[in-house]
Formats: sequence, C-alpha cells, structure tokens
Amino acid sequence: MLKIDNLHASVEDHDILKGLTLEVPAGEVHAIMGPNGSGKSTLSHVVAGREDYEVTAGGVTLDGDDLLDLDPDERAAKGVFLSFQHPMEIPGVQTMTFIRTALNAQRKARGEEEMSAAEFLRVIREKAKLVGLDDAKLKRPFNVGFSGGEKKRMEMLQLAMFEPRFAIMDETDSGLDIDALKMVGDVVNALRAPDRGFLVITHYQRLLDYIKPDAVHVLAGGRIVKSGGPDLAAELESSGYDQFIEAA
Amino acid sequence: MNALIANPTPFEASVLDAYAARSAPNEAQAAALERFARQRLPHRRLEGWKWTDFNAALRTVETPDGDAGDDIVKPSAFAALNPLEFRIVDGRIETPAEEMPEGLRYGVMEAMATIPELESHPIVSLNVAMIRRALGIEVGDGVTFERPILIRHIFSGAAPAFVQTLLRIGGNASAHVIETYESDDATGGAGLYSHLCHMAVRDQGRFSRTVVQETGANAMLHAICAAKMDGEANYDQTTLTSGGRLSRHETVLHYVADGASARIDSAALIGGARHSDITTNVLHIGRGCETRQVHKGVVKDRGRNVFQGKFHVLQGAQQTDADMQANALLLSDTAEANHKPELEIYADDVECAHGSTAGALDDDALFYLRQRGLDEKTARALLIEAFVGEAIDGVAHDGVREILRAKTNDWLEGEA
Repeated sequence: MLKIDNLHASVEDHDILKGLTLEVPAGEVHAIMGPNGSGKSTLSHVVAGREDYEVTAGGVTLDGDDLLDLDPDERAAKGVFLSFQHPMEIPGVQTMTFIRTALNAQRKARGEEEMSAAEFLRVIREKAKLVGLDDAKLKRPFNVGFSGGEKKRMEMLQLAMFEPRFAIMDETDSGLDIDALKMVGDVVNALRAPDRGFLVITHYQRLLDYIKPDAVHVLAGGRIVKSGGPDLAAELESSGYDQFIEAA
Repeated sequence: MNALIANPTPFEASVLDAYAARSAPNEAQAAALERFARQRLPHRRLEGWKWTDFNAALRTVETPDGDAGDDIVKPSAFAALNPLEFRIVDGRIETPAEEMPEGLRYGVMEAMATIPELESHPIVSLNVAMIRRALGIEVGDGVTFERPILIRHIFSGAAPAFVQTLLRIGGNASAHVIETYESDDATGGAGLYSHLCHMAVRDQGRFSRTVVQETGANAMLHAICAAKMDGEANYDQTTLTSGGRLSRHETVLHYVADGASARIDSAALIGGARHSDITTNVLHIGRGCETRQVHKGVVKDRGRNVFQGKFHVLQGAQQTDADMQANALLLSDTAEANHKPELEIYADDVECAHGSTAGALDDDALFYLRQRGLDEKTARALLIEAFVGEAIDGVAHDGVREILRAKTNDWLEGEA
C-alpha cells in the first residue's frame, strides 16, 4: 500500500528526513514514535504534499502510484488523508458546507457521483454523533472557537466522512482526555479494513492502548532506527528515546 | 469669479466657471464657495487625505471619447428585488414613474446649503456651493417600508457632477436603501462625481443602507454620508466597492442621544491600479451607544486599499461600546494597504477596541483545504470569500446579501 523509499526531505536547506524507508501494507496500522524534532510531522506533511518541503531524494508511492508528482488535492482524491496536529480555524466557512464541498471535490476527481445534500446530511449527522460533535457545531464556522479537543473530533469526523485509502494521524492524541482518546480509537477501529492503511504518529503509548498497531517504528534523526511489534511502544515508554537520539 | 482662487488648477477653474454661469446662487452657496476657495481641493499634505490626493488626481480634467448618452444606464442586479427605483444620471434626478407608495414621501427639493458639522470639509463645501436641487426621501413615523429603495448613481464622468440625497427615517420607522455607483470603462471619464448624503434617523428608527460601487477604472468618486442618530436609533451600513481611479466613501455618524447603535461594515475588492478609501468618523455624544465596524480589503496587482476609522467618544458618552476591526489581504507584492484606526476617548466608563492587520493568504489554511481535496483555485477563492464574508454577512436583507455575495464571487472569478 504505502511505500516510502529512502526519502530525503529538507526545509529551508535544513535536512530533516535523511533516508527514511517504511512500508505499510494494506489492512495494517503502523505507529511511528520518536522524540521531538525527529521528523515525524515533516514525514506527514511530505506525504500529504506540503510545498514548503523539498524532497531531495527517494520516493513515496500509494498502491504503486507515485505520490510526489501530485498536488495535495490530487493526493487527497487518491485517498491520502492527514489528521492535522494543529487543525486550522477557517472563519466564514460553515463546517457542513466545507466538508461537503471537499467530499464532492474528491469524488468528482475520482469520477464518482457527488453526494446529494440529503444523503450528506444523513451521513454527517450519524458520524458526528460517533465523534461526539453536536449539530450546532456543524453549523458553525469551521473550527472557530472550538477547543483543542473539539478540533481533533472534527478531524475524526472528516476521517469518518472521507473514508480515505490511507490515513496519517499526526499526534491526534495530543491534548486529548481519556474519553476523547477512546473516541479516536473507536473511529479508527471502525474504519480498519483490508484495503485501508493507517500511520499513527505519536509521542506516547497511551493512544496505542486504544488502537492496537500491527507494527511500531522509531523515527530518530530523520530515519527509522528501529521497528518492532506492539511491545516496542511499551518498551519505549519505560526506556525513553535517548538511546535512539545517540544512535541517530 | 476666478479671482476667488489665485492660480486655480484646471479642475478648480472649470468648477468656478460652472458656478459663474449659473443664475443667482443664494448667500449660503456663495459662502460655501468662499470656504472652498480657502480650503482648496484636499491633497496629500493634509493628514486625513495623505493616501487619497484629489488635488493631484484632478489636476487635469479628462473627457471621455464620444457621447455617453442613455447607453450608460445598464440593468441592475438589484432589479430582481422589486425595489422602488430612483436614478441619478450624471446628476439629473429621476423619480419612480409609479404612484408614491403609502408611508413614503419623496421628491426633488431644495439642496442643503450648509451642514455645520461638515463646514471644514472641502469637497462638501464645493458640493453645497454647486447644486440647487436634491433628492429627498422621507419614511413616515412608525412606517415599516419593506420594499428596498434603490438609488442608482449613474455617471459618465464627462464633467464634474454634484449630487445630494436627503433621507429622513421617522421615529419607530424602518427602511432599507441600496445605493449603487455605476460607470464603465467604455464611457467613463475621470470627471469627479461628488455625492453628499445627509440623513436623520429619529427615535427608535431602524435604517439599513447598502452601498455598492461598480465603476470603471477611471472613475473619480467622492461620497460622504452624514447621519444624525436620535435616541435608540439603529443604523446598519454595508459598503462593497471595487474602487476606481480615486474613490473615497466617507461616513460620519453622530449619536446625539442615548442608546443608539450602528454597524458600519465595508469590503473593498481592489485590483489593477485602482484605489479605494473608506473613511469613517463616529462621534459618540449620547450615553450607552454601540458601534460595530468590520473592514475587509482584498488587494491585488497594484491596487491600494485605504481605511481610516475613528471613534470619538465625548466626556458624557459613558457606557459606550465600540469595536473596530480592519483587515487587508494582499494578493500581490505590489498591492498596498494603508490603515489608520483611531480612538479618541474622553469618557472613563467605556469599552472601545480596534485592531488592524495586513497580510497574505495563510499558507497553512491553504494547505489544509487542499489536503481535504480542494484544488488551489477553489481553496484560494474559498478563503478570500470567507474573509470578505465577515464584512457582508451582516446585511439583514437576504436578497441583498445574496447579491453582494454573487458580486464578490464574480470579482473572485477574475482573481485567479
């Protein structure tokens, strides 16, 4: 499914990713853990297509198709979804209007039929309940005045609405309480499917109590320095990242 | 008569000639002309005019090619709202052909020759000196006039034109006026169009006014609206302008009694080498008055967006609550925004705030929208539309608001 091969990326002449190689097969959830500044967010933005980063070597493919030549919206239409660590507020754009416009733009780009207003309303209400956002929030300008937790719920709502092929969750757990963590776990677990993959980026093991990963990777110094099973997360929680920072 | 101004500019000479050619101006008008002769056309060395220099812009008088004729009257988007339509074509007032609706009185009347609070304003001095007749509209006490009143200012710019509209909204009455300024590149010259609107909103009257400027790139417009607000009167004004060669919309509000309120929002969409100036001055005299003001400027190419907002709170105007926000979005390296928010407060128990920003489109927001599947053009348009929306969404009339949105989208279509 998602294949990252010897990826090098820099921003303003600072090398951040230095030969990152990673493969997430369809149907699996992989976790990436690592210390601050190791390149976790850079990885998520490069895969999603942020233009501020320059890819200097290596490649990224989804289902064998090169992603790096595509614009961010083309990647989204192919099924790449990024749950942002810091979701944007967009004053003046009503939440439902935005999500519907985005959903239909993706569908149109894939040559699919647009979702009708009635069907959209039915689906979004049902999914909003799942992520714990009430109707009133859907009618408000997008994320404006929302708490950090509510913004993360809004990310999960979009994940549930777009049903992407591959989702990257960039520190979705930061700033969340236990109930919200459980909600994130519920949404991801409900969406787990043989043809869908997830990359969960986190500092801590606690989110992985709710989303059981198939593999855990340690990212340090712009490279994957260790990979292992779910137990690796627990190990990191007790031993810390110092060994990897030195190794990197 | 030209001796009144030593070394007049061609523009000043032309208006002095026009004044001299008229029959019997009254004393007040003669006094106004003398005031103008002392004040002269405003220029950049005056604090309030440093970004909008009418003297420089009007140094030469230009005439358009050919005869503008009746062709300058185009269909109006607001016609769909079945308005009561007035037209002022190159300064000539046309009242509606239909029977006068109940609750409303209007007609062509004697123009105001003095407006004490505006005597220091040079273009007002010129305006009141130059004209005799004004369009007057009065909404009777207690009348709720549902139909929008449309006043279309249509001008060729072939010669200077001076216009006055006098509006009176009775006690407990309500009305919605739409004023449009229209000219086009094909017929539009750079002759000054000067409009003075004077209005009074009586006790508990509610008045909405929507101002739309859609003029050619040559248009030279000065419009000033001075409103006197009585107790608990409410005024709601939204201006949407795409500027012109030189364009200034001024609003002067006086809260003369307690508990009045106003919202004065504006959006300027400025491209090419166009210029737009929104200047407002709100004088709080009565107690407990409330003002809300949002200005949004979207500037591309070599456009220039000027905003000057002032809240003036006198000592007795306790419990004033006033907020002013001005934001400019600069879409090119050569776009310019000049903002001057001002508070002058003499009362000690008030809440007054102002904020001003200028910047480019937010890259983070743009990336967020594109990650969700919107192509770059759509994402940019959505962000700009949302930015402008804050200034036009306050229009209470659904139909008017939709037309303003459509006009904004039309402008954005040409943006990408």
